[in-house]
Amino acid sequence: MKNLLLSSFIAILFSACHFGHYGRLKEINECYYLATNLKPLFGDNFNSFLFKTNITVYGKDYSGLLVTKQMSPKDYRVIFTTELGMKLFDFEFKDTAFTLHYCVPQFNKPKLLKVIQKDIETLLMNDLDKKTFLKFNDSKMFYSIHKTKIGKLEYYYFTENTTEHLVKIEHAKKRRKKTTFTLSNYQNDFPGNILIQHHDIKLKIELNLLKK
Amino acid sequence: MKKIFAIVLFFISAFSFAQAPSGYKPVKDTSAFKQKMEAQSKLITSLESDFTQEKYLSVMSEKIISKGHFHFKKVNMLRWEYNEPYKYLIAINKDKMFIKDNGKVSKYDINSNKMFKSINEMMVNTVQGNLLNSKDYKAKFFENDKFYLLELTPLQKGAKDFLKVIQLYINKVDYAVDKVKMIEPSDDYTSIDFTNRKTNQPIADEKFIIK
Repeated sequence: MKNLLLSSFIAILFSACHFGHYGRLKEINECYYLATNLKPLFGDNFNSFLFKTNITVYGKDYSGLLVTKQMSPKDYRVIFTTELGMKLFDFEFKDTAFTLHYCVPQFNKPKLLKVIQKDIETLLMNDLDKKTFLKFNDSKMFYSIHKTKIGKLEYYYFTENTTEHLVKIEHAKKRRKKTTFTLSNYQNDFPGNILIQHHDIKLKIELNLLKK
Repeated sequence: MKKIFAIVLFFISAFSFAQAPSGYKPVKDTSAFKQKMEAQSKLITSLESDFTQEKYLSVMSEKIISKGHFHFKKVNMLRWEYNEPYKYLIAINKDKMFIKDNGKVSKYDINSNKMFKSINEMMVNTVQGNLLNSKDYKAKFFENDKFYLLELTPLQKGAKDFLKVIQLYINKVDYAVDKVKMIEPSDDYTSIDFTNRKTNQPIADEKFIIK
């Protein structure tokens, strides 16, 4: 009896580990298909977006203004300056290529740059139309969830069923979440606040929309 | 021979002309100007003004415009506050620096951080028009009928990486700085215009302590 209890406990533990954070998701479509309702957020008639931004990395806080500008359908420029106007970084994302136009020494660290680059790429959703997705529902039917894989990472996109707003993106590895992007306070179909929280490194990026 | 001399002379004069920004000519008596600047800045005990900051980025179609208000009091007290389109406040009180962002106040010891020290020097000296005395910059002096234009080129390697030149527009009426333009090596720039200036009005020390 003791052994049975112990083995059931271990079994539960293992299955919990296996399903991890995403165990509650219910797959509703086994076929891979192209997600048509996931549209790039920043692809809006070549407009620019201005955010008051805070980047907290290992206890250091960098605050400033982040501007995104769509140059051509799949070409975005993303520039971060301090409130006083000093440029901190200037990135370009064209299709899947990344160009570092400028960067101050504080950000010019390969690992940090790579992480910030990936985060911004996730938000720009440049290569989304090339991906195939699995579709899920959560148990309460609040969200539609699209899952795809880019490199070693699984990407989960949570769309609210009532509003069709993209409210969360998660990066996961072996079904354990690594990064959560929370998109909230939607106005005119664009989120007023975007919070990027990394779970495996001490990095948090907060974007608060000032102007569209 | 005379021809060659004339051509050389032409190029030299054309070159020196090209050195002056359009509409400006070099100041002849720079030491008199410096003396006048120093005498004027000695008369200032406090200063406050509205400001409009424009950030020009060549890739963007619009400039980023932010507005605010600043207070300055001798010696070394500065409150620099953005009100539009966001709230952000930097205050310098002698060797302390405060930043208020999203309602959160952070306090720093200026001497503990090289960057804060240079921000402090730059802001305080810009407001006072004192940068012309700094050994960190090479100064050039120009004028038109309304303004003196001071062009400061940074000499230190660290500063040169992100700053090509600082232009200070000093009005000829009261020798106050009306506009500052900081131009980056890429020719993107930040310009700050000062309006509604009040000089030597009493400002409480509490203005420079942020809680």
